[in-house]
Amino acid sequence: MSDFARQQAAFQSGILNGDETVLAEILDSPREKREALFGVYRHAYGSRLVEAMRNDHELLHLYLGDEMFDEMAHAYVKARPSTHPNLRWFSQGLPEFLKSAAPYSEHPVLSDLAALEKALNDAFDAADGPVVELTEMAGFAPEVWSGLTFRPHPSACRLDLATNASAIWLALKNDEAPSEAAALDQPARLLIWRQDVTPMFRELPAEEAMMWDEAANGIPFGVLCEMLATYDDPDNAAGRGAGYLHGWITAGLLTEVSIGS
Amino acid sequence: MNVASRLPESPAAALADRATDAGKPPFLGFGLGLRHQHYDEILNGNPPIDWFEVISENYMLPGGRPLRTLERICERYPVVMHGVSLSIASTAPPNFEYLQGLKDLAKRVEPKWVSDHLCWTGVHGKNLHDLLPIPYTKEALDHVISRVQLVQDFLGRAIVLENVSTYVQFNNSEMTEWQFLSELSRRSGCWLLFDINNVYVSAFNHGYDPLTFMNGIPADRVVQFHMAGHSHMGTHIIDTHDHPVCEDVWDLYAAALKRFGRVSTMIERDDNIPPLDELLAEVARTREIAEQVLPAGGQAR
Repeated sequence: MSDFARQQAAFQSGILNGDETVLAEILDSPREKREALFGVYRHAYGSRLVEAMRNDHELLHLYLGDEMFDEMAHAYVKARPSTHPNLRWFSQGLPEFLKSAAPYSEHPVLSDLAALEKALNDAFDAADGPVVELTEMAGFAPEVWSGLTFRPHPSACRLDLATNASAIWLALKNDEAPSEAAALDQPARLLIWRQDVTPMFRELPAEEAMMWDEAANGIPFGVLCEMLATYDDPDNAAGRGAGYLHGWITAGLLTEVSIGS
Repeated sequence: MNVASRLPESPAAALADRATDAGKPPFLGFGLGLRHQHYDEILNGNPPIDWFEVISENYMLPGGRPLRTLERICERYPVVMHGVSLSIASTAPPNFEYLQGLKDLAKRVEPKWVSDHLCWTGVHGKNLHDLLPIPYTKEALDHVISRVQLVQDFLGRAIVLENVSTYVQFNNSEMTEWQFLSELSRRSGCWLLFDINNVYVSAFNHGYDPLTFMNGIPADRVVQFHMAGHSHMGTHIIDTHDHPVCEDVWDLYAAALKRFGRVSTMIERDDNIPPLDELLAEVARTREIAEQVLPAGGQAR
């Protein structure tokens, strides 16, 4: 290892681990001791990353308050040093961290709130893609509809939450007092996407969530309707399927509709 | 310690000189760092700003509003890309994924130039998201020159590198920062972004005269000035970019104009972002001082 490489490793260790070896290679300034000057880098490291997390998780921050959020964020910074050059991606692991690290793992609403915020952040700057318009659907003859397959917009993603985190998110967003965190009997099935430039989410009924997931897997419309028939009244399954499809298209959720093989 | 007297002689290095005036970035006038808080006001108002500098990483994203807004800004204003993660002085292997992202963005934006900082941001797979200092040694200089040449070859253009604010100095430095920057520019062909606030900050922190730094930089290699604010801690200054430009830095700007001539200048505010009007007033002041210091026709040397 070159001397330069060795020195950089020692400098980095001084910031990340509090290792003081590198101080022997640093000069005091005319007005200040080297410990204090090196401390500028140590302090900036944690505070910059925590600030980035506050920006990414505005409502989790609001929910926890400054003190608890910052304590949690510093724990995350310590546990998961950044490995990506773009700060944008630093907090991507937060939902998983909150799910697995005590004491946060004892409050599953925290992980769910973080996951919802992450999904909305990801939708905000997800890849662009064409958006299918209703008028395009008129171009498909009735006999090909059962074979139609659908490609979701690149920004669309599904998220199942075990808690009432989405209700808490909405309350916080509207400056209202959030309700008590609670586990749900059935998971909340959310669909998150970007409409034009605005990230959106909504909760799906169980059968629509199933239909979306299977449509995203490439299952054609006819089969999707047969699957819907197992959820509720089989006689109007095709009508319900067409209704969900209409909603997806008007929300800008599909990027391609094609006639399957 | 007079580190200048320890500047190594390297006649062989002269053979590798890449510095040339060919392709020197143009004078753009008086600009501002683009921040998302001002997107709507800029797009709806067409404020009198000659050009914008954008933080490259803020747009190295798959899609959505940031890139769409940037495209609209590019239709109306000259744009320069300014990165914070090139980590040109890192001893870690080059990050080609990052470089490809930067190249892709440059293809989309067609910036007047691409800049970053003379610093490193991490090693061993970690990123500290800070502009970390280096020792001014011959070993470091050779390393950075080779990296600059690699990056320039990869991007297909000469890059622009900025002096950073530093809080520490290493006891193994063999030359001054300005000697290091001068040699780096001369031998690699990169241009220099002279951050006047950073010179002020580093000069205070390390106890030297900022004019000595300025006079040690070759005038013909500087293509951009940054102007920014900082936080004074008594025994040292922290480069926070969250305050207006202070009077001492304005004075140093006037001196920089006398030394470097007409140079593309911009106001850089990264935190505590004020209303656009406040920054426009600072941009106007950069223009007024340049007009006072450099009578009509003042040219960069």
